Order: sequence, then C-alpha cells, then structure tokens
Amino acid sequence: MDVVVDCVSKVWGSAGESVVALERISHRFHSRRFACILGPSGCGKSTLIQIIAGLEQATAGAVRIQVPGEGEPRQPGMDSVMVWQNLNLFPWRNVIDNVAFGLEMRGMPRAKRHERARALIASVGLRGFEQHLPGKLSGGMRQRVALARALILERPILLMDEPFAALDAQTKIIMQEELLRIFERTHKTALFVTHAIEEAILLGDEVVVMTARPGRVKEVIPVGLARPRSLEMVNTKEFGGLFDRVFHLIREEVMTSMAQQAAVVAGT
Amino acid sequence: MMRNPRAIGERALPALTVMIFLLAWEIFVRARGIAPIFLPAPSSIAIYLYRMIIDGTIISNLGVTLLRIFVGFALAAASGILLGLLMGMSRIVARIADAWIAALYPLPKISLIPLLIIWLGTGEAYKIMISAVTAFFPIVISTYAGIRQVDQGLIKAAKDLGADQRQIQLKVVIPAAIPSILAGLQLGMGVTIILVVAAEMIGTSAHGGMGYLLISAGQVMETEKVFASLVVLAVVGALVIKLQQWTDRKLAPWAAHADER
Repeated sequence: MDVVVDCVSKVWGSAGESVVALERISHRFHSRRFACILGPSGCGKSTLIQIIAGLEQATAGAVRIQVPGEGEPRQPGMDSVMVWQNLNLFPWRNVIDNVAFGLEMRGMPRAKRHERARALIASVGLRGFEQHLPGKLSGGMRQRVALARALILERPILLMDEPFAALDAQTKIIMQEELLRIFERTHKTALFVTHAIEEAILLGDEVVVMTARPGRVKEVIPVGLARPRSLEMVNTKEFGGLFDRVFHLIREEVMTSMAQQAAVVAGT
Repeated sequence: MMRNPRAIGERALPALTVMIFLLAWEIFVRARGIAPIFLPAPSSIAIYLYRMIIDGTIISNLGVTLLRIFVGFALAAASGILLGLLMGMSRIVARIADAWIAALYPLPKISLIPLLIIWLGTGEAYKIMISAVTAFFPIVISTYAGIRQVDQGLIKAAKDLGADQRQIQLKVVIPAAIPSILAGLQLGMGVTIILVVAAEMIGTSAHGGMGYLLISAGQVMETEKVFASLVVLAVVGALVIKLQQWTDRKLAPWAAHADER
C-alpha cells in the first residue's frame, strides 16, 4: 500500500501563539519499500508520522492510503501500526497480554489470541518471557515486545518513530538487524523516523531528509544498497558516499535548528 | 551464606534504641518514685496489658473498633472510587464535583461531629459516617487524579492498536489509575482509624471500642490502661498499614509503591 502525503501542514497552538510544525509536505511512500524520515530534532517528523498513523489531524492537506491498481484511496489509521520511541507498553500487562492487545480489542477469544501471541513472541526471541511484566525486562527485550505487539496485527504498513533511540549502542545494532530480517521476510511498507544518518541509510530504500522547523521535504535520497542488508555494508565506499551526501544536507538543517533553539533560550 | 555484620547491626539498631528507651524509662520512674497515675513504668503497663488481653477487654473493644473502621472505610472506598471514576470520564461531573470538593475538603471533618450527633445520635451510624466522610475525600481526589494523569502515549498506542473509546477507558485508563487509587485508599485508611477512635472518645458508647476504653480509663486515672490501649492501637495501626501495603503490591506489582521509596 502506498502512503500518499499530499500537501500536509500542521500548526500547533492557537492564533495568538502558533508554531508551524509541518509546511506543505508532499511525498509518496511506495508499497513494500522501506523509507527513512531523517531530520533534526524539532523538525516535526514525529508529528508527520502520527498524522500518517491517523492519530493527529493535519491542519491542511491530507494523507491517503492508496492500494496500487485500486481506485478509491483509504483513510489513514486502519492499515498501519506504530512502534513508539518510548514503546508505550502497558506496564500492568505481562508480555503475552501486551502482544495480544490488538487482537483482544478485535474481540478474538483468549485461547486463540494467546496462541498467536506465543508464536510472535517466539519469533522475536522472547520465548519463556510470556508471563513477565515489561518492567522486569531489559530495554532491548521491551523493544522486541513492542515490535511483536505491532507485527501481530499483520497490517501492511509499519510505522516506527525513533524506536531504537533509547537503546544502548550494542542493543541498537542487534535490533536493527532484527528489523532488517523482519522487513526482508514480510516486506511491509515501512516508514522509519530517525535522526541517525547511519541508521537511515542502513535500513532504508530511500532517505527523506527534512528541513528544520517548519518541517518540509528537503531532498529524497535513494539508497541503492543491495538487500539483504547487513551491518558490514557500513564500511563500503557506496555507504560512505551516501553518508557524506546526507550528512551535508542534514548539517545545514541542524545548524538552523540549533540557531532556532538558541533564539528561544535567549528569548526567555 | 555470609552475612554482612554491619548490615545486621543496622537492622538491630532501631530495636536496640527502643529497648534502651524502655529501660531508661523504667529506671527513671523507679528511681524518682513517680506515681503511676502520672507515668507508670513499662513493666506495669505490660502487666496491665496482659491482664486486659486475658480478661477479654482488649479483644472485645478492639473487635468493635476494627468493625467500625472496616465499615467506614468500605463505604468511603466504594463511593470515593465510584465518584472519582465518574469525574474522570465525564467533564460535567468533574466540573460539579470539583466545586463541592474544593469547598468541603479543607473543612476539618472532626468539626462535623456535633452535627452528626444531632442527626444520627451517638450510636454506630454517627461513628461510621464521620470516618467514611473523612476518608471519602482523599480517595475521590486520588482516583480522579490517577485518571487525569494517565500517560497520553498509552492512550494513543491503544487507539493505534484498534481500541475504541470504551475499550480505552476499561483497558487502559482504569488500570493505569490503579496505583493512584491504591495510594488514595492508604490515605483513606489512615484517617478512618483516626476518626473512628476520635468518635468513640466523644460519643459515649454502650458498645465500647478502643477510643471509649482510652477515655474511660483516662477519666478514672487508670494511666496503665491508657498506655496499654495506646500500645494496642499503635501495633494494630501498623499491622493494618502493612497489610494494605502487602495487598497493594499483590494488586499492582508493576507500580512503584510508597514503602519502597
């Protein structure tokens, strides 16, 4: 399913003190491809992905979900599922009931949804932890629970908002490989928000570079690295070239963003 | 397993200070020959306590008091949680209830005792009412606060996973508020104990109670009995609070509890 972002703007706040978070963003995210949305902090990338998820309303413009070859586009929300930066696991539910949450909301009987959840938990390497509460797990394990909770719904679009930002460096690498493995197996349409250049190139088929606030699409860089991807590719010349290109794009935006933040600090 | 001697010392230290305090008290009273009606020695308090346990005085009065505490607390918990949940789910209910709570909460509930005695007499109804009214406020306030402070991220996540408004309330908002509700119940239990004993001291009662036992012993200067009753109240109060903390951990194992901080 294609995700069509059509001239989306988002303004926070009222008429008096308003902040333009997104300004006339347009982009088509293609079916079964992995797109990374890269930008400096505060550029509205989280807002954009939440609008795509149908959890926030655009001030102007629209997001449509388009099945290639079919006429009528669909409203956002029903075909996607989100993995959050702070995970948003339900702390009172154990692993299996967190993973089975979406199925429970659909009214699937307990035995059946637990069976499905068990399979998903095993596929992310957490067999034996079904009865644990999220608070008892490490950061990487919690991340796997969050992934399994999203994947169990088998929605065609997977949205991720800096899902690995809170992880330590080693765990992050393992989770990136896990995500690549999952993507290569399921080939969902994947949208991945990040501020890490390396991560964006390693995971994505394209990198959508955003500007500092107000967020616009600065440039779209196609990533031609072969799949299946692996971490060793980071050392190739091709990867290095892409990195330099993205780095120079993002550098300007980070400088602008820092100047904006300095102005805010000076103003208070 | 090797035990760290310092850790054992740290654990024993509080008990040791209590023993030293009691010993000093005993020596002080005996050396100065202080009259028991002013300050009885710990040893004679212990003897009185033992007698009161044996002859059933403690059991019957404590039983009555605990029953009142339980009924008052149950009433406050049921009504407080119910109103707190309604406030959390309906803006109109919250608006109206907020005004009433803001007006009535700062009022010292104990000042309602004369009115309640006029309306209800000095029997059971008044004692249960005064404790329930007092405990109601912390419970309703904590319940409402718990619901209002639910992490918006959890609500968004549930919505994204396909939950409708009703499911969000039942499966996310209420469970997320449980730790705050339990904290409110702990506060409520504390004031229930205080108010029941205070009410027993004010309305003289044919059915007794620890407050009645205290005040009647005090009036005839049986100071040993007063102290013995205080010991019982302190121990029972501590046990009730411990029991509540234990059930809280069973009911909400995911939450950080007040006694673990």
